[in-house]
Amino acid sequence: MSRSPLVASILVLIVVVLIFVGAPAISQTPSSSPKSGGILNAMQREDLPQGFSIHETATISTVFPAAACFSNLVMYDPMKRVESIDTVVGELAEKWSWQDNYRNLVFFLRKGVKWHDGQPFSSKDVKYTFDMIREAKDAQGKLRLNPRKDWYANVDTIEAPDPHTVIFHLKRPQPSLLLMLASGYSPVYPAHVAAAEMRTRCVGTGPFKFKEWKRGEYVELVKNPDYFVKGRPYLDGIRYVVIVERGTKYAALQAGRLDITFPGEGTKTIADQVKAAVPQIKIETVGQTVVDNLLVNNTKPPFNNVKMRLAASLSIDRRAYVRAVHQGGAAVGASMQPKPYGVWGLMDKDLNALPGYAKPADDKAKARKLFAEAGYGPQNPLKIEMATRNIPIYVDFASFVINELKQVGVEATLKQVDTAQWHPLATRKEYQLGANLTGIGADDPDANFYENFACGSPRNYTGYCDEQVMKMIDQQSQETDIKKRQQMVWKIQQKLEEDGARPSMSWRLDYVMQWPYVRNFVPHNNIYNYGRMQDVWLDK
Amino acid sequence: MLTLLGMSIVIFALLRFAPGNIVDILFSTGGYVSESDKAAIMKELGIDRPIWVQYVDWLREIVTGDLGKSYRYDLPAWQVIKPLIPVTVELAILSTAIAILLGVPTGVISAVRQDSALDYVLRVVSLAGLSMPSFWLGMVIILGLVAWIGWIPPVTLVSPTEDFKIHAVQFLLPAFAVGYRSSALIMRITRSAMLEVLREDYVRTAWAKGQTGLIVVWRHALKNAILPVVTIIGIEFAFLIGGLVVTETVFNLPGVARFLVQAIIWRDYPIVQNLVMFIAIVVILSNLFVDMLYGWLDPRVKYGD
Repeated sequence: MSRSPLVASILVLIVVVLIFVGAPAISQTPSSSPKSGGILNAMQREDLPQGFSIHETATISTVFPAAACFSNLVMYDPMKRVESIDTVVGELAEKWSWQDNYRNLVFFLRKGVKWHDGQPFSSKDVKYTFDMIREAKDAQGKLRLNPRKDWYANVDTIEAPDPHTVIFHLKRPQPSLLLMLASGYSPVYPAHVAAAEMRTRCVGTGPFKFKEWKRGEYVELVKNPDYFVKGRPYLDGIRYVVIVERGTKYAALQAGRLDITFPGEGTKTIADQVKAAVPQIKIETVGQTVVDNLLVNNTKPPFNNVKMRLAASLSIDRRAYVRAVHQGGAAVGASMQPKPYGVWGLMDKDLNALPGYAKPADDKAKARKLFAEAGYGPQNPLKIEMATRNIPIYVDFASFVINELKQVGVEATLKQVDTAQWHPLATRKEYQLGANLTGIGADDPDANFYENFACGSPRNYTGYCDEQVMKMIDQQSQETDIKKRQQMVWKIQQKLEEDGARPSMSWRLDYVMQWPYVRNFVPHNNIYNYGRMQDVWLDK
Repeated sequence: MLTLLGMSIVIFALLRFAPGNIVDILFSTGGYVSESDKAAIMKELGIDRPIWVQYVDWLREIVTGDLGKSYRYDLPAWQVIKPLIPVTVELAILSTAIAILLGVPTGVISAVRQDSALDYVLRVVSLAGLSMPSFWLGMVIILGLVAWIGWIPPVTLVSPTEDFKIHAVQFLLPAFAVGYRSSALIMRITRSAMLEVLREDYVRTAWAKGQTGLIVVWRHALKNAILPVVTIIGIEFAFLIGGLVVTETVFNLPGVARFLVQAIIWRDYPIVQNLVMFIAIVVILSNLFVDMLYGWLDPRVKYGD
């Protein structure tokens, strides 16, 4: 009882301190009407590879800081987390129309749009951009690197009949073209500025203009006062701060030096730590459309034999992989991002029927049997090399697979490859097994299948090529009935897994962190598609 | 000059021995490889030419004051390198200053109070400094600050004209992390040199003449014990110019060392070659300065006779 005055005093003191220190933060009620002004400090995981030249890269390190500078014809609704055909909205195109049974896609462009250098935007910029990407004979520009040429393989010609109309003439119907055009990988470039200049600065029509790029330190964009959406953007500018060291990045976030994290950087473990340290930080879990996939070289023994590929796939317990390597921060799925993070993933019952997805002990027994049928066993173990990039997230993946293979009697050795050598090695197919990560520009079967599974695609690293599957891919691509297309896509996924074409281990989840005063920064289920920032504001 | 020429050959050759080149890295950001496009870019950058031609070109560029063009940034190399140098030099000078301010006095005190409790404490502190990697200490400082006061210095460089106090904090914290380790080394060298000198006849004579402790220790003893200490300081300073990689990374300071690592990863030859040459020049100048300092500190040391 004698302690009660002391306890009461301490409680009073705590309350007083909370009132003066903590209360303003706690009592801040969300403001309903957006406020203009302020600089958003965004995390940038590395300096920009290839500057702002989105069309010349396939990395989020370029797309995220460059996205706010550009505009697409269409984009995914910034406020909707899960992207689909229903969330595509107009950007430079006010409206669009499919004609001739999805053979012609007509865009009606906004009027009065200006490039950041004051030049007027017109249909010729659109034609210039996409002719350049698809490397049309009469293209006016050329890209140094062109990773997404295949996205537009079905475009026959692009016509600009007047300054505000563009028509994409297709060789065959392809409803998915609209989804690829909505990707963060599909900005429109100015025809009057050489594409190479985008490596050092950006000239776009987007909500923010280029101000400064201090190499290795930060990129700064400022509000575009001539932005074609009136009243936007709300922010005065964005500063993308390059921080390579992971500990420093999250210390900076916790200290309020950064307002938001970088897409694809947040793991479950880090998110848990940050939340424990700063409970008011907002964390959202979304899909990344980035898949950990096992490269199985289809072109060389032993994995040119479908049974051997299947055996390798059966050996790996996907759910254990998610638990061990991602600490639960990933979702098991086949070749399309699983639900609810994606739209096209297999239903659970179908997924569980696939090799390597349901009963690990049974699957491993089947794998041993298949290896034994091919002449491998305890007396004559299969010895293979497992190649991967010398980056921890890749090495963790490869090490797990090696351990799983060991359990079925396969002796795999790890070969770590320098980043500079990784893609040449994969492209030339100079490996047996490989641990790889693949990001897909849109959660869409065309964007994924044509890029990673189609015969002859430069990013089809496994060399898998099946005529029947190609037909199935083409058929789903032309299907305009969404439900029918979904069924077709499910069948393709099943077939790919049964063929051990490029077994998926898991789909990465992103734990996007932001301070609560950041409003309208809505992470999507695809890391490449939510960098525009025109609706983001600071409730400070 | 011969040393620099030798360095240039070593740097140039080592870079070419590393697997892959900038074009491989570019294609890795594109996720594919096209041999024809690769050949075109190599031609554009001039790395398809014979290696000796590239080497001679580089030497010619250095002589004419043109450091070439960064492959990665498509900008003149000097434009990329220039802002990095003041950051690293400032950090290295501050770190060295902290190391001297901490190391020399503690080394002297430790020697004068040999085998006392204070000596043991200082030796433990210095041993801790030697055992603790500076990047670890740097990370502890950052995490400690954020955990205890929810604050860390700005993560982009603040110039002294913009805000001197913040600028000072931005550099003093990493300088302490680095300087502490160097101070431990300086302290131990100072202590052992002082112990040796304190037993010399002239020191005993000074004591016998009734001179004050301050004069005996700081003027007579330290002046004669300082040569090995100066050598260590010179070596440490030269090391810091190129060896601050992790500290610059942890404190997110845009200096030479951090940038050099990125340039190596990107195989940005013009940047790497010129930065390494810059570091080599600093090492040579630092050694030259130390040698000249010997002559000033010890009149017995003479050059050119």
